[in-house]
Amino acid sequence: MGLVFVLWQQGIHAQDEDPGSFLEQVAGSLSGGEQLSAPGFDVRSASITMESGIYYLDTWVEYRLSADAREALDAGVPLTIHLEVEFINPRWYWADENVGDIRQSYQLQYHALSERYIVLNLNSGEQNTHATLLPALNGLGRITGLPLIDPSLLNSDESYDVRVRAVLSTEDFPGPLRFLAFWRRDWSMRSDWFRWQLGD
Amino acid sequence: MAAGRLKRTINVLAVIASALLWLTALIWFAQTAQNSETLSRLQNGILLFSFIGIVILLLLIVANLTQLVRDYRNHVPGARLKARMVVLLVSLTVVPLLVVYTFSLQFINRGIDSWFSVEVEEGLETALELSRSALDVQMRENLADVRSMAQRIETGGRTNIVGELGELRRVSDAVELTIFTMGNDQILATSAESPFPAVPQFPSDELIFQLRQGGGGSYVSLEPLADGGLEIIAAANLMAGALGGEPDILLATFPVEPQLSELAGRAEASYDQYAELAFLRTPLKTSLTATLSIVLLTGLLAAVYGAFFSARRFVLPIQQLMAGTQAVARGDFDTRVPIPARDEIGFLINSFNDMTKRLATAHEEARDSQQQVESERGKLETILARLSTGVISLETDMRIRTANQAASAILGSDLEIHLGESLVNLAENQPLLSQFVSVSQSHLERGESDWREQIVLRSEVGRRVLMCACVALPGEHDEPGGYVVVFDDITALLQAQRDAAWGEVARRLAHEIKNPLTPIQLSAERLRRRYLSPPTTDSEFLDKATHTIIQQVEAMKEMVNAFSEYARTPDMELTEFNLNDVISEVAELYHHELPLALELSLETLPPVKADAGRMRQVFHNLIRNALEAMDHSDDQQLKISTRHTHDDGMGFIAIRVEDNGPGFLEEIVEEAFDPYVTSKPKGTGLGLAIVKKLVEEHDGQITARNRKQGGAVISILLPTTRKAEDKLLFSEHRRNERRERA
Repeated sequence: MGLVFVLWQQGIHAQDEDPGSFLEQVAGSLSGGEQLSAPGFDVRSASITMESGIYYLDTWVEYRLSADAREALDAGVPLTIHLEVEFINPRWYWADENVGDIRQSYQLQYHALSERYIVLNLNSGEQNTHATLLPALNGLGRITGLPLIDPSLLNSDESYDVRVRAVLSTEDFPGPLRFLAFWRRDWSMRSDWFRWQLGD
Repeated sequence: MAAGRLKRTINVLAVIASALLWLTALIWFAQTAQNSETLSRLQNGILLFSFIGIVILLLLIVANLTQLVRDYRNHVPGARLKARMVVLLVSLTVVPLLVVYTFSLQFINRGIDSWFSVEVEEGLETALELSRSALDVQMRENLADVRSMAQRIETGGRTNIVGELGELRRVSDAVELTIFTMGNDQILATSAESPFPAVPQFPSDELIFQLRQGGGGSYVSLEPLADGGLEIIAAANLMAGALGGEPDILLATFPVEPQLSELAGRAEASYDQYAELAFLRTPLKTSLTATLSIVLLTGLLAAVYGAFFSARRFVLPIQQLMAGTQAVARGDFDTRVPIPARDEIGFLINSFNDMTKRLATAHEEARDSQQQVESERGKLETILARLSTGVISLETDMRIRTANQAASAILGSDLEIHLGESLVNLAENQPLLSQFVSVSQSHLERGESDWREQIVLRSEVGRRVLMCACVALPGEHDEPGGYVVVFDDITALLQAQRDAAWGEVARRLAHEIKNPLTPIQLSAERLRRRYLSPPTTDSEFLDKATHTIIQQVEAMKEMVNAFSEYARTPDMELTEFNLNDVISEVAELYHHELPLALELSLETLPPVKADAGRMRQVFHNLIRNALEAMDHSDDQQLKISTRHTHDDGMGFIAIRVEDNGPGFLEEIVEEAFDPYVTSKPKGTGLGLAIVKKLVEEHDGQITARNRKQGGAVISILLPTTRKAEDKLLFSEHRRNERRERA
């Protein structure tokens, strides 16, 4: 995969170590990171490449979970995150036309027995596990070679915009949390649209 | 009616539909607030729907409340009752609702809290820990296995690495063994239990990181599988032999014993569920409280609005009834209150409508009968006004209630403009009226309310005889409520009776006297023939005596003829002629009588329909009467003038005969037209009586009076139209106001 990520952790935690202290350390490390930037989702970069007649998306989304979300995650609540990609035909005379609409859904869950974070691609069923949250979020955020759309569906004469964003799905929360998310803005986390022109 | 029923049905259906919709929304909402996954997408919509409903209800309530407060301040009828009902209904619904709400909240909080306990939490944690420990044992074993396998590969060299791996896999529990290069993830060799191995699992970054970092150069982890199972991944560094450099990786996948896997999985699931529930405790409480609050708020607002609604529904017919009552009090009997329903209030309103309908009918009838009475009264007034009989109705204190035109004319005072005034006060300075009042008063003072008397009223213009009758009007407590005095001017009637009597006398006298006159005359003439030839000494005496007898008998005959002329009533021969011609003809006959100066002043007259002979007689008599009156005067002036007046459909011919003689004696002026009333030395005393008779035969009117400068005036008024005739007949009594010349 060739991914490079940074760990703030002081050391690697062996399986036989106390899970409580492990969690505390994760929380501590994240709260340290929190001071750098507020909770939220950001699409850091995104690009589209064409390979053998299909558009592929590479993107890096930075996920910074709020304390509430982390608490929910550690309590076993699965978080569903949608990566939304849209192909837009901008029109000056009318509302922009939505040409293509791709949604990739991921589920992030903490497995208490193995004390591991599971990242599940809900579209493909592919699953990865991570010992700590940060690599899990990194694994979630680094998307490479996501097949999007057949260019034949697009009109070659037109110029299209692509936009990407990541959304924490409140609809998939358990009931009470969903109710809470309706009232509290900090529960509905989403990134801004990252938009660029196709072919740039 | 049908449209109203349809509207009502639609309203009821709409209310039921919205209530059902609301209830469903709330039930769904309550379900989603708990852990149901269904309808999750609808939740926010339902929440929004509830909010819109609440806002609408709030607006409705605020509008209703504002209206109620305004009505209450303005003392609108029914506002107090409505306010009382609203307060009552709201307190009846709100208080129990709030009680239920408070207790429900407590129960929910306590119920949720009771799910959690330290014991359960500890038990679950222990179970999880136990599972971990059990798995840990296997993990350690597997790690040791991998290490020993790595040592064997290192020591055995890599000549037959694939076979070696297969051998190692077979002796161990591993399902898959793979050797990777550390740097570029290349698979050097692999062996799998499955006959159709998939692409072997690549080592994770974490694994590589840990192997590189050292710590014995080994890695083991428990991996949850997508199907819920578990597997153990263990890895160890594989020294690259003589080349040095980075070591390779031996990665082994071990299955977890199925029973252990299942038990651990269950412990994990229970722990997971508990942890999630524990985490969701506060959100659950919040969401349930919020749901309950929204349900309560909705119910509360609906109840409050319902209170307003039912109060309005209840009070509306009462308000309408009040408005209807006020309208009826104002006199508007056409008010009908719409009947709201077939209940007691509906019955009341029905009765009210019935009552107003009857009132309206009664009012209509009363108005009709009043109109009838008024028109009757009008007719009666007309009749009374046209009546020649005077009618006066009096209050008990002699104030005039009503008086007709004839009464005013007879009593010579306009009573109609003095209605309501006392007759006694009015009688001052009114000679006729005061005599009438004194007679009436004397009767009433004696306590006679019903009386009848002939009254003779005397005034400067003459005598007037009234036939007077008085009747008491019915009043309260046997007291008279007033009096009606009815009186007729019978002066003319008495006159006519007198005329008739005179006519009879004249006829009889003429007959009785005329019979012996002829034998007397014949006897006297026989005496003359017998004793005058031959003449004797007494001849002269006899001649004188018989001559006197014959002359006097002749005079008597003349007188008797005049009498019979007066009594005679031959048939009228009506022809159309001009009266001026007749007057001129008659005047011509007297032109040569000296020293008479006869002056005619004749206006152009329309032709009259009359008996020409009688008219001639009238003027003969008048001129002769005047001449006889002026017998010894040297300056005899006689003027005859005619005039025609035509006004308002009444045409008259007025004839005036004036002389400058001595005039009538004051004491006989009112009986001037009676027979044998005369102040002249000569004349039969029948001239004017005949004139009057002839004029009256022509529906005319004749009056006599003295001139201020001396002499007499006789005026004749002859009607030329029907209306004028009626007028003269009506004012017949006026004729007698004039003086008569005897």
